[in-house]
Amino acid sequence: MFDFIAYPLANLILLFYNYLGHNTVVAIAALTVLINMALLPLTLNQQRSARKMQELQPELEKLKKKYGNDRERLAQEQMKLYREKGINPMGGCLPLLIQLPIWFGLYQAIRYCVPTTPLDVFRFSQHIYHWLPGIVGLVPLQSIFLGMDLGQPPNTAQWWSYALPLLVGATSFLQQKLLTPPSASDDQSQAAAMNKQMQIMMPLMFMMFTLNYATGLSIYFIISNLIRIAQYYTLDYVKKGTEQKRNPRKR
Amino acid sequence: MNRARILRWSLLLTVLAALLLGASGCGGMTATSWTGMTLKDERLYAADLRQIQVLDPTSGEVFQAFPSNVEDNSFGILYVAPVVGKGYLITASQLPASGFFGSASNVVLKLDTETGSEQWRFAGAAGQYIEGGVVSGGTFVIGNSDGNVYALDVESGELLWTFETGHRVWATPLIVDDIVYIGSMDHNLYALHLSDGREIWRFSAGGAFASMPALQDGTLYIGAFDNRAYAINVADGTERWHFPPEQNGEVWFWGSPAVGDDKVYAVDVKGEVYALSVERGEEIWHHVLEAPVRAGPALSEDGGTLLVSGQNGTLYALDTADGARKWAAEGKGAGYMTPIVDGDTVYEVRIHGTYRVRALELLEGGDGYKELWIYPPETEE
Repeated sequence: MFDFIAYPLANLILLFYNYLGHNTVVAIAALTVLINMALLPLTLNQQRSARKMQELQPELEKLKKKYGNDRERLAQEQMKLYREKGINPMGGCLPLLIQLPIWFGLYQAIRYCVPTTPLDVFRFSQHIYHWLPGIVGLVPLQSIFLGMDLGQPPNTAQWWSYALPLLVGATSFLQQKLLTPPSASDDQSQAAAMNKQMQIMMPLMFMMFTLNYATGLSIYFIISNLIRIAQYYTLDYVKKGTEQKRNPRKR
Repeated sequence: MNRARILRWSLLLTVLAALLLGASGCGGMTATSWTGMTLKDERLYAADLRQIQVLDPTSGEVFQAFPSNVEDNSFGILYVAPVVGKGYLITASQLPASGFFGSASNVVLKLDTETGSEQWRFAGAAGQYIEGGVVSGGTFVIGNSDGNVYALDVESGELLWTFETGHRVWATPLIVDDIVYIGSMDHNLYALHLSDGREIWRFSAGGAFASMPALQDGTLYIGAFDNRAYAINVADGTERWHFPPEQNGEVWFWGSPAVGDDKVYAVDVKGEVYALSVERGEEIWHHVLEAPVRAGPALSEDGGTLLVSGQNGTLYALDTADGARKWAAEGKGAGYMTPIVDGDTVYEVRIHGTYRVRALELLEGGDGYKELWIYPPETEE
């Protein structure tokens, strides 16, 4: 179903593998960086939106106090505030939705390049881009990394491979925490509770399904999460620098 | 809670549910490899995922099945062509993972063909078995996706030796005169002593080897994933020739070549069939099929017809003299295995179709065909 994404991605992995020292992890990492660069406008938008939401918290709190008993009015006022500040409250979902086919495509691409089943290899043999330089004879790529088979899900025979889903969970948690608007300490609302649940549930879910996928996909998630975290702090640094230039006295 | 938040949560949960469903592998048993078949002592032994079916080659009727109960999954998922000996068969299978944290295991099994009982099982390999093994001199040799070649004692199942290659081993070995010839995805074809697995020589190509070599008159013929078919001296592993002389794109030779009197026949995965001179590897003719081809070709007993099983389910018959197409027998499912020729009968094994095995009779010296039977027979709705 996602082969129209998987074939180009698999060929890109081959190309990176050829030019980056015949190392499968490095090739997947290079592809991850490339995908994240392509998604940069979306993720930056998401992070800016999250930041604005964080800055908006005091005003949202005021609205809650003011219209606490009138939920309909509160929702209307909140939406009005979002509009005024140019925030799309659904902005965080778009990158997630766009990434979904990429995840499935990448999962399939890893199965093509580091195959465990011959039918995958045969299917891919019909879709290798002949014109790419240096890719003759590369498939199947070398699949062992730190004693783990990148084409296989974590398993008890290679017990240390379970470290990868754990790392996926940890980096997802950190990323999620940074992107979720903080709630006031006394905020007992349902929304605040759901935000907290989301911070736990999302990383857990990602961890659970990387337990069932080829470990090569975990590499993608870990690097992607690290890039997003670095991106967040870079944005933070740039913002603070800009503010200091505007108000040199302010510390 | 506002509407946007509810919408965001619903969306998120849908996305995660889709991911988990994809990961759970639900949807029953789907073939991830092709299944193998062996003809021995007027019996066809066809791996059929859940069972090995023992069929009558003349009628396609089932004599027996291992395990006898299709619901009994103690033998795991059966793909590879079994090796059949006197009173036994040896096969390899994958036992599916149990529980969320469980992982699949891979075993070699020896079964009693009279009773169907298990005589021994070997569970020492970490990867999947893709193609079957071979028995010679009381030793069973098989390659595994964990990169090792395993030699087991046929009688006891005891591990005699292992040979480590640098990548997955998907090919069936060829054993001649106590020497094992086996290709690996690490781009090498190895010659090993059957007695202890010591390496005699290795031949390195520019791509993976995934099929069994064909041997004739002191020369091994084999295709590789570097778009070439090779002729290699069996004595020392040196190259005699390769085809094509220049690289011409990413078109692998996966299936084992077939060797006739003066020609070697090789098929690439795009479906181009080549007849090459055994002496120099020069192209005599080539014929383009309209389907990808995984398996190597088979020759009719008189050597006049070349049979090629296409992925599209069609069996193609070509004239070995000039490559002209004699006929094409359309079928259901997908063909990934080399057809088995026995006298005037051709047996094909299929996956993803309504039947698993088809038998055709070659008529008029291979100029025509007649379908004899299919297994399982099609039932009227």
